[in-house]
Amino acid sequence: MVDSTDAVRAGLIPLLPRLRRLARALAGQAADADDLVQTVLERALARAAQWRPDAPLDKWVFAIARNAWRDELRARGRSQNLFVPEAAAAVVDEGASARPADRLALAAALAALPPDHREVVALVLVEGMSYGEAAEVLELPVGTVTSRLARARIALQAHLGKDA
Amino acid sequence: MNPIDDDTLQAYVDGELDPVSAARIDAALAHDPLLADRVRRARAVRAELRAAFDPVLEEPIPARLSALLQPSSQPVRRGMARGSAAAGHAAAARRRPRRRLVAGIAVAASVVLVGMALRGWWAGGDLVRMQDGQVLAAGDLQHALDEALASEPDPHARVGVGLSFRGTDGHICRTFVLRARAARAGLACHGDAGWSVLVLSPAAREDGELRPAASALPADVQAAVDARLRGDVFDAGQERAARAAGWR
Repeated sequence: MVDSTDAVRAGLIPLLPRLRRLARALAGQAADADDLVQTVLERALARAAQWRPDAPLDKWVFAIARNAWRDELRARGRSQNLFVPEAAAAVVDEGASARPADRLALAAALAALPPDHREVVALVLVEGMSYGEAAEVLELPVGTVTSRLARARIALQAHLGKDA
Repeated sequence: MNPIDDDTLQAYVDGELDPVSAARIDAALAHDPLLADRVRRARAVRAELRAAFDPVLEEPIPARLSALLQPSSQPVRRGMARGSAAAGHAAAARRRPRRRLVAGIAVAASVVLVGMALRGWWAGGDLVRMQDGQVLAAGDLQHALDEALASEPDPHARVGVGLSFRGTDGHICRTFVLRARAARAGLACHGDAGWSVLVLSPAAREDGELRPAASALPADVQAAVDARLRGDVFDAGQERAARAAGWR
């Protein structure tokens, strides 16, 4: 018999890069994001018995990540942003962009989105999930995911330059 | 014609629209510059976000995170919990030969766990077996590694092979993909006992056929390839010659 904790632990190793990317999109700053990842790993291992081996581990883990992030937001106070917009510069990989100013503005705009919108953007546009998969992770109807994403996208679009 | 609302437009951009509606937008794009501009801007958001966050995938994993995922039966040693698990083990093995055995056991443990999880999921017998502390390819996996050529892909085969190359230690290694509902990808290297499976990871679903491009490999498989690759991967002629020589 394989202990479920060992199976989850083995499955988490290849997921780490994607989990860190998702956390960065949610939490913004690298240090906050890795704190979030650490919480997610601890929770996933503690709850390993709840994971059904025939279910995709990534969705299960991403749902834990989203809930842990929401818990963190609540702990810090509902109205407070996790970080001020200028700190969003830390998100951006400098030199990778043809239009660094646009990308910086985009990262800042993402950080300024309401949590309901940011989590949809993180799962669909950054992680690359389908609307249906994101709806499962968020436990929302697909229509809600779609309309939140459309509104978030328009807000983000405004921060791309005219040549974008 | 009716203006296309934002929900529909973004479903088109994200590939979520049904084929009939998508074809309608395709047709409209040709003679509607405003619509084309909206599509371009919606695509740009996605592309820019990926460009901003994808570099995180390439960052080394902080030690405090990878340390949490060390198998509980293995002592966590200073210096090993560094980088992503596979890359860290490989790098540690390069830097400190004495640690190779410990790192190898830890990697083997995670391969065995994944291999055992495959039971019942893969109809047709075990794909790996343990021998002298090594995880060796068995069954369908062993057969594919021995016989299949990436230059003659069989889209219906349940195991596909990707890159083949001679590793830094002189042994020939091949990447492979197990095609199933939940795909797995891995790296195996040939030795006296057969194909030793070094990494085995959940993989993204393939889009129709095997994509041998390195970008299709899970990060830890890629890291294992990078740690061993010396020179170029085999071309079709070298792959065939290697098979004829028994992968030695």
